[in-house]
Amino acid sequence: MRPAGRAETDSLYFDYPHFPFVRPPELEGQAVRHRVAIVGAGPVGVTAALELARHGIVSVVLDDKATVNDGSRAICISRHSLEILQQLGVDAPFEEKGLGWTQGRTYFRDREIYRFQMPHSDQERFYPMYNLQQQYIEQFLIDQATESALVEMRWQSAVTGVSQDDGGVTLEVSTPEGDYRLEADYLLAADGARSVVRKAFDLSLHGEAYEGRYVIADVRLRSDFPTERRAFFHSHALPDTTILVHKQPDDIWRIDYQLGPGEDPEQAVEEATIRERVELIVREVMQESGDWELEWWSLYKAHTLALDDYRHGRVLFIGDSAHLVPIFGVRGLNNGLADAANAGWKLACVLNGQAPDALLDSYSPERRGATLDVFANAGKSTRFMTPPTRGYALMRDAALALAFHNDYASGFANPRQVTPYTYADSPLTLADDAAFEAGPIPGAPLINRRLGDNDFLLDHLGTGFNLLHFSEKGEVEPALQQRIAALQAQGNDLTLLRVTCAPGAEGALVDPDGRLFAGYGAEPGTAYLARPDRHVAARWKTLESAALDHALTIALGGE
Amino acid sequence: MTAPTLPFADLERVYERLAETLDTLPEAQESHFLAQLALALAHRVPDADRVMAAIEEAREGASIGS
Repeated sequence: MRPAGRAETDSLYFDYPHFPFVRPPELEGQAVRHRVAIVGAGPVGVTAALELARHGIVSVVLDDKATVNDGSRAICISRHSLEILQQLGVDAPFEEKGLGWTQGRTYFRDREIYRFQMPHSDQERFYPMYNLQQQYIEQFLIDQATESALVEMRWQSAVTGVSQDDGGVTLEVSTPEGDYRLEADYLLAADGARSVVRKAFDLSLHGEAYEGRYVIADVRLRSDFPTERRAFFHSHALPDTTILVHKQPDDIWRIDYQLGPGEDPEQAVEEATIRERVELIVREVMQESGDWELEWWSLYKAHTLALDDYRHGRVLFIGDSAHLVPIFGVRGLNNGLADAANAGWKLACVLNGQAPDALLDSYSPERRGATLDVFANAGKSTRFMTPPTRGYALMRDAALALAFHNDYASGFANPRQVTPYTYADSPLTLADDAAFEAGPIPGAPLINRRLGDNDFLLDHLGTGFNLLHFSEKGEVEPALQQRIAALQAQGNDLTLLRVTCAPGAEGALVDPDGRLFAGYGAEPGTAYLARPDRHVAARWKTLESAALDHALTIALGGE
Repeated sequence: MTAPTLPFADLERVYERLAETLDTLPEAQESHFLAQLALALAHRVPDADRVMAAIEEAREGASIGS
């Protein structure tokens, strides 16, 4: 919502683009068969299109809007998400415009009681978190998609019906110049919390809706306070309200505040109420004296809801269409981007003839597993942020008060931010090699390591599977070389990345100080097989060439 | 030697159980219940100095902002 007199796209800092309607060939009566249709041009849908394009697969993206999202909404992008964006070649504008951050502060009764640090070191290319308004996130992704010959964006195209049979998926599309039918082999449903695709197949989300209601409000305010997450509990100004504050680019500040149990949400989102509450928070809680302008606000309710199966025949549900998670821990967007990457590479492998259709069956257990993991923590976080009862409120305040002087209680004040999920139990993941004492386990994502100035391990990944091979000087035994060449000749997208202790080998990555070997628990002969989404499929302290075929087959959904 | 303490995951379980137990009591009984609990827990600690230190920690926490 925006202040009275301003249109939905009348922003203080962002120029909303207008995406014109372009008549598709279907409206001219031409029969077109698409490989992949994606419903929803939000961050998740467009990321999926770019992931498919990275593997050479053409897709068409449909959205009923003529511009990007009306408000800033999801503003925190995790390092893991930046690494996804880097693989899509679109990380530069995110890094340039976004505000990277590493720490946060918790206040109790107006006193700072705890600072948390997110894991960060000079071995990482990206900060643990970046703040960036969702309009920019969408704009940067759409710019990239528009430049790609493999992505067709269809704006002002509302999907009104969906059906599928053994041969494919049919969409009913409504446009300013008439309705048409769109035929595709597969469909990715990225059409959000109120998914039309989900409703068309009569599928429902299951779980619980928590009682906590939050207002999220953006204001423009000049302040030198650094980019950190601040959480205020029991402030003197609003003792019954938990408040979160985040800095965004363009002098925009995000203020989240909880509504009391008796508060009427409709009254709470009236402009006068918002202005009164924000003024109190800016002055008394943030302790800012400068002028502020109201930009945008919205009402948010915490949920833990998910589909029972994220795959429905030829349809994969990605992002909010599949799951709704509470706002704390910034998992909504980041898990949605991981869904898009996961679904994208698998669908591409199937369509490229590199994997059986069964590979798509692994999408739901892997990504629904990530959702259920969020749910397991969400209850705790939500009960802490918005205590549902007197007992929980009393315990929350007790933990915060003790946390001021006692480290043993500070864990309660930690916001439990998003961490990448480990697909250890996935059917695509092989059991670990017990000889390892360090490094990412099978199912976990690759870790980054610095190779030199502006040069990191993950910069060197190929588009498909990567075999990270560790050696003294870049030597690879002939039998393994032959296996790799044979797998490549069979059509597999497999890149050999050689990591060496000493320089000399052409094209090898030199570990300058032993940290790459140490980080991966590696010795000469060690190897990691990583999937296109950087998650480890298998690892061997000493790789025997014959083991590679089996691991790749399993990672591609075969037996 | 440092005396053993409760792992954080267990402390979280205690937090939840206490919250739920408090919710079963009338509000007027809260202090009475918590004072009894403090004595019952102190009885299980074989070192009075550690109990006194815990009392001091709680006293300091109670003074924040009040």
